[in-house]
Amino acid sequence: MMLRLVAIRLFFGLLTLWAVSVVVFAATQALPGDAALMILGRDATPERVAALRDQLNLNAPVTVQYAQWLHGVVQGDLGTSYSNRSPVTEVLNGPIGASLTLMGLAALVATPIALAVGAFSALRRDRAFDHTTSLGTLVTAAIPEFVVGILLILALGPGGLDVFPSVYSRNGGPEQWVLPVLTLAFAVAPPIVRMMRATMIEVLESEYVQQARLKGLDERTVLTRHALPNAIGPVAQVVALQLAWLAGGVVAVEFLFNFPGIGKVLMDAIENRDVPLVQAVVLLIAGVYILVNLAADVLGLAANPKVRVAR
Amino acid sequence: MPSQPDHTPAPSRRTLLKFSAAGAAVAPVLAACGGSDGNGGGGGGEPRQGGRLSVGVAGGGVNDTLDAHDPTDNVDIARNFALYASLVRYAKDGTIENHLAESLESNEDGTEWTVVLKEGLTFHDGSPVTADSVVFSLRRILDPENPQRGAGDLAGVDADGLTATDERTVTIPCVEPAVTLPEALAEYYNCVVPEGYDPREPIGCGPFKVAEFVAGEYSVFERHEGYHEEGLPYVDELEIVDFPSDDARVNALNSGSVDLISQVPHAQVPIIEADPDLGVMESETGMWLPFTMRVDTAPFDDVRVRQAFRLIVDRQEMIDQALSGYGQVGNDMYARMDPSYPEDLPQREQDIAEAKRLLADAGHGDGLEVELVTSDISAGVVAAAEVFQEQAREAGVTVNLRRVNPGEYWNEEEGFPYPFGQDFWSARNYITQTAQGSVVGAPYNETMWGEHEEWLGHLEEARRTADLDARNELIREAQEIEYEEGGYIVWGFVNLLDAHHVSVHGLEPAVSGHPLGSYAFHTLWKDA
Amino acid sequence: MSAPPTKDLAAGAARGRRGGGLFRAAWRHGRTRVGVALTGLIVLIAVVGPFVAPYTPTEFVARPFETGVDGTVFGGDNRGRDVLTRFLWGGWTLLILAGASAGLGVLAGTVVGVIAGYLRGWVDEVLMRVNDMLLAFPQLIAALLVMSIIGPRTWLIVAVIAVSHTPRVARVIREATRAVVEQDYVKAAEAIGLPRWRIMAVEILPNVTGPLLVELGLRLTYSIGVVAVLGFLGMGLQPPTADWGLMINENRQGMIVQPWAVVMPVAAIAILTIGANLITDGLSRAAIGIDRGVGR
Repeated sequence: MMLRLVAIRLFFGLLTLWAVSVVVFAATQALPGDAALMILGRDATPERVAALRDQLNLNAPVTVQYAQWLHGVVQGDLGTSYSNRSPVTEVLNGPIGASLTLMGLAALVATPIALAVGAFSALRRDRAFDHTTSLGTLVTAAIPEFVVGILLILALGPGGLDVFPSVYSRNGGPEQWVLPVLTLAFAVAPPIVRMMRATMIEVLESEYVQQARLKGLDERTVLTRHALPNAIGPVAQVVALQLAWLAGGVVAVEFLFNFPGIGKVLMDAIENRDVPLVQAVVLLIAGVYILVNLAADVLGLAANPKVRVAR
Repeated sequence: MPSQPDHTPAPSRRTLLKFSAAGAAVAPVLAACGGSDGNGGGGGGEPRQGGRLSVGVAGGGVNDTLDAHDPTDNVDIARNFALYASLVRYAKDGTIENHLAESLESNEDGTEWTVVLKEGLTFHDGSPVTADSVVFSLRRILDPENPQRGAGDLAGVDADGLTATDERTVTIPCVEPAVTLPEALAEYYNCVVPEGYDPREPIGCGPFKVAEFVAGEYSVFERHEGYHEEGLPYVDELEIVDFPSDDARVNALNSGSVDLISQVPHAQVPIIEADPDLGVMESETGMWLPFTMRVDTAPFDDVRVRQAFRLIVDRQEMIDQALSGYGQVGNDMYARMDPSYPEDLPQREQDIAEAKRLLADAGHGDGLEVELVTSDISAGVVAAAEVFQEQAREAGVTVNLRRVNPGEYWNEEEGFPYPFGQDFWSARNYITQTAQGSVVGAPYNETMWGEHEEWLGHLEEARRTADLDARNELIREAQEIEYEEGGYIVWGFVNLLDAHHVSVHGLEPAVSGHPLGSYAFHTLWKDA
Repeated sequence: MSAPPTKDLAAGAARGRRGGGLFRAAWRHGRTRVGVALTGLIVLIAVVGPFVAPYTPTEFVARPFETGVDGTVFGGDNRGRDVLTRFLWGGWTLLILAGASAGLGVLAGTVVGVIAGYLRGWVDEVLMRVNDMLLAFPQLIAALLVMSIIGPRTWLIVAVIAVSHTPRVARVIREATRAVVEQDYVKAAEAIGLPRWRIMAVEILPNVTGPLLVELGLRLTYSIGVVAVLGFLGMGLQPPTADWGLMINENRQGMIVQPWAVVMPVAAIAILTIGANLITDGLSRAAIGIDRGVGR
């Protein structure tokens, strides 16, 4: 039953990924201008353009071009970047690592704090702490992440308290990670807080926990042994969803801080009309998004407390 | 998004620089302004030997190269100045002085040139710089199979006829009078390399030799002990760091991770000037950012419209708003550094009433609507377009801006050359500039100028005239015709801004348009 | 990928709370009133601003990034145009674009959701599968992809954001519809043989206004964010338009010497999104009794 559900989700996930690949390919095909002209730039002579068109297979029918492109993608060959004429995979190597580190750090900072705040709000339900938290999450969740970033720069960057640099540079120290990580953490945390609070309230009110209390277990044991484990499932799902969101949300934040990750690569590639690079980054982000969403779904299925309780 | 002047996808004229030939005495006096005088740039007492200098240069990418004859990007050019040396070179004021050459002379009509090398020159590996090295270098540049960047400038040179007459002497025969040969040989990319040169082993005879090089990131150089200028360079080690992003470059200077940087964005100047440890060096240059009107396309095929558009521009406001005031007013003529530049023609000022009258005469009395194609091809270009849009409103001209990607701006599929567009050009003298942009068939003749018979007559005669005064007189005539009828609106010349820590000395402005006094790393020194 | 509150929303719809009552119920929450005040303030600035601005938005009044200039309150922007004037002019574009895209997205999503929820069967299956695929595309990335290809056009900004909202709205409205369909009045309408489009328009639609309004609020908040971020990335409205998102992009470099040109639009966007979210929260509390607020 469970396996079948997972298999179906997996199938649709792959189907979606394929659909995304079609959209991405079709979209970039619609780009004005000729790829060969674009690569050669101002060195273009009719002969060189013709030769390169042949080499790039630009004269083949679109479906054939798509098949070849997809074939390459499946084998990890994402083509050659127009602007610097080296393989896309090579161009993306460093930035992927940098982005993953950034996102990882943000998740690492945000998740424990968000979980603690959420759980504590549930315990202090309808008291001052709970209301403040609820309002706080409403406010932070509403503000677009780049606005949060700028507010942080204004407060802590040069011009403000001047404790952290607002621009990333190659030979800068670790302190330049602080503001981007904080910005992303602020963006990720609110839904986790809310979900943790809601789930904890639900669990605390469940018969299961009530029974544990009736058995005379002290509140601490009830919480750590019985309530928390049951809250993990849905919360894990939200955390995963937030990670998926990070894959896309990181673009504006990297742009703001000039952080050398995939988001910055995407913006530069768009600026340079570097089609293979745009294709690769969009596909990559969409792929991560789909996969993490899928993981969240499976997590939700596996750890749904209702399913468990029913069992 | 940050833009880098002189940085375009393909090697091109964008980075070429040309200056007036010997005797540019008429060129405007160029002064260093900005906050660096006394404490940084120029003075600072007795130069100190030794130390490590770290420089942040705008631009760079995985395409970076150390090839002596094929530098493209700003950082390539910076490294070229560090590694290599040419026979003659441009001095800070734009005149040509000897570098590796002891003398460079021509016969009467400029069809044969003789160059004699200084004594005792050595390459980084200790081998001597000989006449054969010069012949090899020029042939490498002119290789018909794989012509290098300088091939165009040296077009008249007969590569097969090059001869090393003795250890230090080379004769350069030309198939036609080549009055501009010294300018061509003064270009950094026409430098001298040893026989059998391989760009993977970049050996030259410049002030520094390469120690480390990572494309798109940084490079490290060591002092060339055998450099021919006595006592130079001062520093033992030079690091050049690539900084494509303006913010990151300024940030690196602020945090002290580099000692000086090239090309400070105008907006950041106040930030640097507010810091007592930092200084800004401002250099006047001959770089111009014209509006281009196609003289063969309506409405600009009517000279009255072109003149009206030139009268619409408030040049000082253009410089104040688009360049934050860091520029010099232009007078619709280029080649400002050329000794022939007509300083005496009246400065064109904004005259909306006259512009309206001219437009009405041309049949646009009820207003005129035009499209201006703009692109972030160099700092200030898009800003200038926005300023023009605003200024034109007063004259009843509606300007619609179409913004094109910098990489596609010169693409014919986008419509280049546009009826009304923009461009940026580095400083060149008049004859070389017309070959690039103003004669029929020039690679970037964006105004479709060049069919004017009288003008063409003057130009062709100037090209054949070896006598400097007579040549300058002819060029002046040609300039005046463009002043009255041409397709460019040359509203101003850009000042270049570099910044440095106050512990760095020996920095002087150069008119070349290349930052950091034409990347004069060999004259820089640091306090202990 | 379904967010848990969906079912609660559906339940709220089944309780049959309609538009007017919902607003009254929402107004009882203090937050809603604060939200209305904040949103009202920014809307007022955006609407009245152009009429009270001291200059035209493209006039030059100062050197770039110059502050303390006579005749200006906050100095000049990156070109030397009046910061206050650009700020006063820059809001209405954001409001119109965000409003239009949220409105269109919710409209389309409602149509899809009601049809899928009411007709069921293969129609539902097809619509929801397509929905899932659309959902799999991160909104901002989709917008950036399209903008980079076709180029930043105003109608395109609206279209892309609306399309990215549609599946999210459709999912919620479908759930709500399915709850309503079970109700007696729908069954009765079917029994007397009313045409299906009439049942959907007259019987179902009015009974899903609760979740519909909540969705509208949510999507509006989100649209403001996307329009602003597109402007900030240089992929939205183009210069020399005065637009808050674009203002932030243009004046970022001079933030240290001329903070106003960034602070004002940033503050306006922050206040506007907070206000919209507070209203949404009030609406959803009134509709379903739980707090919801912005989701992604």
